[in-house]
Amino acid sequence: MNNRNMITAGVALAVLSAGASAWAAGNMANNEVRVGAYIVMYDAKADDLTGPYVPPGVNVDVKNVTTPYFAYLRRLSPHFVAQLAAGVPPKTETVGKGPATLGSVPFNGQVVSTAKWFSPSILVNYVFRDEDAALRPYLGAGVNYTRFYDLKSTAAGDAANGGPTAIKLSSSTGPVFTAGLRWHIKDNWSAYASYDVAKVNSDYVGDTAGVIRKTHIKFNPSTLVLSVGYAF
Amino acid sequence: MKTLALRIALLCSVAVLTACGSDTPTSAVDNSTTRGTLVENPPFRIASVDAMTLAAELGASASGTQLLQVTGAPACGVDFNYMHYYTVNASPTGDVPASASAALMIPTGAAPACSGPRPILLYAHGTQTDKAANLADITDPNNSEGALIAAMFAAQGYIVVAPNYVGYDTSDGTFHPYLNADAQSKDMIDALTAARKALGKVLASTTTDNGQLFISGYSQGGYVAMATHKALQAAGMTVTASAPMSGPYALEAFGDAVFFGKVNLGSTIFTPLLTTSYQKSYGNIYSATSDIFEDAYSASIEGLLPSTTPIDTLISTGKLPQLQLFNSTTPVTGNATLDALLAEPSDPNDPRTPLFRLGFGTMNLVKNSFRVAYVADAAGQPDGALLPQPTFQLATAPTNTLRLAFKQNDLRSWIPQVPVLMCGGGNDPVVFFPVNTITISYWWEAQGVPVARTAVAIPTSLVTVLDLEAGLGAGDPFALAEGGFATAKGAIYQAAYDSTVAAGGDAAAADQAGQFAVVQSYHTTVAPFCSAAARGFFSQFLGG
Repeated sequence: MNNRNMITAGVALAVLSAGASAWAAGNMANNEVRVGAYIVMYDAKADDLTGPYVPPGVNVDVKNVTTPYFAYLRRLSPHFVAQLAAGVPPKTETVGKGPATLGSVPFNGQVVSTAKWFSPSILVNYVFRDEDAALRPYLGAGVNYTRFYDLKSTAAGDAANGGPTAIKLSSSTGPVFTAGLRWHIKDNWSAYASYDVAKVNSDYVGDTAGVIRKTHIKFNPSTLVLSVGYAF
Repeated sequence: MKTLALRIALLCSVAVLTACGSDTPTSAVDNSTTRGTLVENPPFRIASVDAMTLAAELGASASGTQLLQVTGAPACGVDFNYMHYYTVNASPTGDVPASASAALMIPTGAAPACSGPRPILLYAHGTQTDKAANLADITDPNNSEGALIAAMFAAQGYIVVAPNYVGYDTSDGTFHPYLNADAQSKDMIDALTAARKALGKVLASTTTDNGQLFISGYSQGGYVAMATHKALQAAGMTVTASAPMSGPYALEAFGDAVFFGKVNLGSTIFTPLLTTSYQKSYGNIYSATSDIFEDAYSASIEGLLPSTTPIDTLISTGKLPQLQLFNSTTPVTGNATLDALLAEPSDPNDPRTPLFRLGFGTMNLVKNSFRVAYVADAAGQPDGALLPQPTFQLATAPTNTLRLAFKQNDLRSWIPQVPVLMCGGGNDPVVFFPVNTITISYWWEAQGVPVARTAVAIPTSLVTVLDLEAGLGAGDPFALAEGGFATAKGAIYQAAYDSTVAAGGDAAAADQAGQFAVVQSYHTTVAPFCSAAARGFFSQFLGG
């Protein structure tokens, strides 16, 4: 997370604090918002790129990103919570993986394209221990939807592809799982740490002057989320 | 205006999920089908290699190493761009739009000879049976002609525009207008127009057109190069110089020589390419393919070439005979003159007799009846180049429609106004040098064009004739190319000789094998050495 994102998160927290209502003892709040950092680590596995004039072994990798995280939670029962979570769409960088050069054009390790993604998840979490416990671990499962947009081929990507390239990445719907720990700090405030894994698979299509190259990318994102929650 | 911009901004902010046109675009696409339209701009770049990488990749194969010895080390890198453009194809009712593709090879690199304003070489390739052939695809190991022009010209600072021709690769042309001067020159000129639109738009290139235009080509492409020079000159467009190589310029005389029994290597491939081209262009070559071709071949011959099936397979599956153009039982008409012209060559004193006789057999392609009709026309309306006292004039009024098409496309129909080098090998068994290059050079001379056949005559001549076998005598500026060609022939001879001896053959058999190997590869062996001569010839005009 860069400084600017930290500041954004801080401002969001301050705004929420200003409008805070009291944490009513013995009367559990039904709603909670969380804000924090979303640290996304990819273990991307893609098929080698196919299409005309593609030498063997041309592949891609995806760089890890950190982005502000936000979530809304709704208490369903003492042990069940519904969670709608998303990150501020970050710019993800795809890097070339394979030969050091294609012809004389640098490839391996070059940032060949960038994409933003909007990736909301809806989960149901089972929260262990009593509701007034300071530390409550939880497990959750749900559905993730990922849509890629603002896809851009970089100058290095255009050079490797052989010209200006229009990129498409299909949207993905897949399961998401989470394991986390809630620490009730004080009154309405809690801190959260969680580890999420999701299945995000997408079909890549690159169009360079009518020459179409394709691959299938399994992003395999695992995310570490550190957040602060405010219940109301 | 402001309202619209605001609306777009709002839409974008609301619909975070949609692209809102911010995705990077691919090349602009021009949907016009008018001549010279460049479809994708910038065009697709298949490969980009710097000078060192090009040298290393060529040097990785034996043929590439040999090529580099002729071309010299690359001075520039080369970007291999692959253009789609629009031109026309011929039809009996006039030109019809046709798409086509071409290589646009652009020199790259920091050296002054590799960037900035550079000359264009418009290059025409030789006969190709592979319909999928693409000169831009330098990654294809079969693309030897692409490698040759890349190393010879692009890597030495020429922007190379080399069409794949209508009827090849992605072209929607329904046939290839083989040796149709009008159609093929239009294809070349339209590729040039399209390429000029791409220059400056292509990736990472600071190379631009300096306004100089050189034209070259080999074999079929030698013919096309000359036809293109003729068409550009007629259109008043700039040509700096041209160097057509080993081409069938005097088509009528060449056709007559073949039908008289002097059968060239490759004739069973060239003949169907020619008849299909002229039939589809003019509609009058035959009413059925069986008018010309034996029944064993006539059913499939019209659409046979170019083909995605390898030529060896077409031959092994009986679609074409390998060498036998004419029936070895030659026709007897009762007319002694005709019968002598139709007889199988038998002159024991002509070293080419065994070669010519390879063109005769019982698996023959062309019917005796058609051969008689052609030869009768050629005897009654002779081509001046084949007369005992040659005049080099075209026949006055031929009536055989194939022969008429040859006359219509024979390049004894123009006179160059800028320098031309015609290079070839005097003993070429595929495209005969004397009946083509020498014929048109004498015809030009008869029209008052100064022709150099010796080095001393070059400075005062518009046309230079270079036979790699004979050279140009004292002060020959092409001596290196001639020497290289002699060495290459010697190596081919020796390799075949040695392998025959190694297999237990005696010296006579080894000698025969060596000579045969030279004949077999002669036409392709000439290409890099004439190309080197062409580059040397062009270099005197560079920057002028």
